[in-house]
Amino acid sequence: MKFWALFRRRKQRDHDLDEEIRAHLAMAIRERIDQGEDPAEAEANARREFGNTTLVKEVTREMWGFAWLETLLQDLRYGLRQLRRNPGFTAVAVLTLSLGIGANTAIFSVVDGVLLAPLPYPRPNRLVAVWETLPRSKHIDAISYPNFRDWQREAGSFQRMSAFGDSDYELTSPGMPKHIWGYEISPGFFATLGVRLTLGREFTPQEDQYGGAPAVIISNRMWRNRFAGSPEALGKVLELNGVARTIVGVTPPEFRLSERQDVYTPLGQRNPVFLNPRGSHDDMVSVARLKPGVSIAQAQAEMDAIQQHLDQLYPETDRGLGAEVVPLKHQIVGNVGGTLLLLLGAVGLVLLIACANVANLLLARAAARSREFAIRSALGANRARVVRQLLTESVILSVAGGGLGLAAAAWGVRPMLAAVPGTLPRSYDIRLNVPVLLFAFGVAVTVGILFGLAPALKSSKFDLQETLKEGGRTASSGHHHAQSSLVIFQMALTLVLLVGAGLLFRTIRHLWETNPGFDTQHIVTFKVGLSPSAARTGASTRAAYQQLLGRIRMIPGVEAADLTYILPLTGDNNTAPFWIDSQKPSVPQAAPRMMVFDTGPDYLRVMKIPLLRGRFFTPEDTAKSPCVAAIDSVFARTYFPDKDPLGQTLTFGWTPPLGPCWIVGVVGHVRHWGLGAPGAYTRAQSYYPLYQIPDRYWSVGQLESMSILIRTPLDAAVLIPEVKKAVYGAGRRQTVYAVQTMEQVAAESMASQRFPMMLLGVFAGLALLLASVGIYGVISYSVAQRVHEIGIRMALGAQKRDVFRIVIGQGLRLALAGVAIGVAAALVLTRVLSSFSHLLYGVRASDPLTFVAVSLVLAGVAVLACYIPARRAAKVDPMAALRHE
Amino acid sequence: MPKTARYKNRIELLQGTLDMLILRTLQWRPQHGYGIGQGIGAGSHEVLRVESGSLYPALHRLERQGWIVSEWGLSENKQRAKFYRLTAAGRKHLVSEESRWEEFVKAVKAVMKPAVEEQ
Repeated sequence: MKFWALFRRRKQRDHDLDEEIRAHLAMAIRERIDQGEDPAEAEANARREFGNTTLVKEVTREMWGFAWLETLLQDLRYGLRQLRRNPGFTAVAVLTLSLGIGANTAIFSVVDGVLLAPLPYPRPNRLVAVWETLPRSKHIDAISYPNFRDWQREAGSFQRMSAFGDSDYELTSPGMPKHIWGYEISPGFFATLGVRLTLGREFTPQEDQYGGAPAVIISNRMWRNRFAGSPEALGKVLELNGVARTIVGVTPPEFRLSERQDVYTPLGQRNPVFLNPRGSHDDMVSVARLKPGVSIAQAQAEMDAIQQHLDQLYPETDRGLGAEVVPLKHQIVGNVGGTLLLLLGAVGLVLLIACANVANLLLARAAARSREFAIRSALGANRARVVRQLLTESVILSVAGGGLGLAAAAWGVRPMLAAVPGTLPRSYDIRLNVPVLLFAFGVAVTVGILFGLAPALKSSKFDLQETLKEGGRTASSGHHHAQSSLVIFQMALTLVLLVGAGLLFRTIRHLWETNPGFDTQHIVTFKVGLSPSAARTGASTRAAYQQLLGRIRMIPGVEAADLTYILPLTGDNNTAPFWIDSQKPSVPQAAPRMMVFDTGPDYLRVMKIPLLRGRFFTPEDTAKSPCVAAIDSVFARTYFPDKDPLGQTLTFGWTPPLGPCWIVGVVGHVRHWGLGAPGAYTRAQSYYPLYQIPDRYWSVGQLESMSILIRTPLDAAVLIPEVKKAVYGAGRRQTVYAVQTMEQVAAESMASQRFPMMLLGVFAGLALLLASVGIYGVISYSVAQRVHEIGIRMALGAQKRDVFRIVIGQGLRLALAGVAIGVAAALVLTRVLSSFSHLLYGVRASDPLTFVAVSLVLAGVAVLACYIPARRAAKVDPMAALRHE
Repeated sequence: MPKTARYKNRIELLQGTLDMLILRTLQWRPQHGYGIGQGIGAGSHEVLRVESGSLYPALHRLERQGWIVSEWGLSENKQRAKFYRLTAAGRKHLVSEESRWEEFVKAVKAVMKPAVEEQ
């Protein structure tokens, strides 16, 4: 709007000025005529005395203050015309830039959505999570419910405090049986976050108890899909895990704590066996909203005091326990920040390489345009003007490239995230929002000025006489130096990226080759949701599973099958304090910890874990027979260094402890915390027969994560339909879900390395492509400039192959210089990489094999890129070259 | 011949000085561009000849700065012309410029005078 008014006012002023000058001339002519001059002569003289009308008008117009706009529009028009006249150059430049800017925008949108953007709740920086901490222990998402209730009651720093935990359910009605995910939440959960329910209300304290009214809150998505978004959904019934729950609330559409949760049930209705004991740390996280004016430090101080008090009141369970207050974003985002920033840096390098390419292109073109600049300078353009105009051209290029790149990023971010291993937290918050757009635009303009500045400065500085005389020949040894430097720069950056990708690649190789302790091939795993009638009591659940296993074992192609509570390599947590014989420690914090695998007797056969000593479980080990357990080699080495573990007893757990159990066997160690995880995790492992677990632990809701493992040579796609038949045959409302092969589980465990490796590999590939195009361009250009010189050399006796060698040598020298600088830079930068130590495994940050291999690849690619220009040089006809100017 | 005399006596006018002269010319009554140029020439006994390439930019700049305002009117020959007139702020500016000019002239004279005395 304002622009248009400005434009019109400008036109009006132009008109006025014309008239004013016309009036002046008229008056001057009149006066001359009055003084006796001839009218025609008067006019001529008056005009001459006035001077150059156009120039006067132009100078006067400058006084109006539109000057900058005028020149900008002029520059834009001129620049666009120039670019249009050279479509090849423009296309290459814009494409190169769109690659660089697009990739950067895509990665930045991920960084913004995951790391930078505030959580989508009101005043999100007031939201915190409260963790329980044990000294020397890594944080896990589990807290003691009685502790949490005490925190809730006593902490004055928080406006509200609530807790939530992952859960999954069998949805049996309405509709087809389906396995769904949800959260168990305490009352006030949504209020703590500041979320207003679309319909209905939160849970009441009465509902939040074991045996309380079966209520459920559903997600907006489920409300729309299954209940047509009707307000009458309140009061309708969902059957979850065999319990008919009444819908009391619906969450708003924008509420997404994670992608897949559809229902919410009261946390207090969890099995009291796991919830009530103060020493039992069940899977849940507590969130709280700080009171206005209270800082995290103050809240932390208060929580320290409260927890210390609890430690004193309940030394048996709480001694040594601490509480930590962290921003909620911390809890949700976890450790992924370092990797994302690393990727942002890497993709920034790609952008720099792309800019170097475009800068080289500009230098080549500038040399060709030097006459144009010389003439403009002769006509009165000052250097600043020329530079400004050239910069406008480069910014046009980069903004065009940026726009194209932005479109590519918008289209490609989601597929990219889907293609990489693992899932990013908050991936639903990644979108092309204002910060991302500003980033893209800002990068485009900065980049345009960056790569345009050097060529612009070079082009505008010249010896006027020389250039105009030479008739278009470009001297430009200065240009050549600049171009060579840029190529070396590109090569160095490419080497850094290649080294990074190479190191990660070797890491993955190492991880793959690490023996996980069992045979990952030919194992299929899945979970079953038992029908509510089968899962009514602990005994019936156990019987149902046993029956199911019987049917599965009869499927042809199944070599062995059994149950397990925890899948190895998933990092699922099931550690317990323990003691040997009767050396019970005074407090659980003093007890050593071990990882407990609850499995069926055939587990070893399915997993092909070696049995080192003694025996594993048999079907005779039931709840009625003496309690037995097996330990792994690490456990034996650590706790029985010089004693025979067989025959000793093991007691574990705390409230109440299970055991003492006789140790009947020693098995091989299994890597549970991912293939390359450092040793901060509990390494001692033990096995406990599933069928010896007391009935009260076999309740539905705890065993949802029980997995069935099958060893079979058959393909999963062939096997699973048979499995489903067996499962549905046992009960039609049962579900089969979470189907995976063990190899997939192993691959998933490396997701945190595979994700950056794939992206870094892509970036390194891009960089290699751009750099080889760059060196090709510069060498080609140099050959074209030196045709005359080549002709002379040939005339003086150089052979074709000598010329060929000279050109290749030129390229090789550039490449080697780049490699040298790149190696130095990479040695420094990979030190940074290894500080994210969970990324590298089995390979040093200065691994010589990687460096050498990558250097050879880069040099080889560079030489290849010079092949065509070298051949062209060798094919030069000396006679034609000598005649060529 | 009048023309050559004017050329020979052309003196470069500094921008600030030109501004002051224009404001002075407009002190008593509004005038159009051509008239201002003539006025300065006549007032200086044809010594100062303002080029239109300096005059019009100066007029527009002075207008932008607020010392003068313009409006269209009829000239002596009943032709449409743009007249400029001094504003209150312009009057004040003129007074201060005039005193600065006096000081400047005094200073220059003081430096030149000893040389004259030596002679």
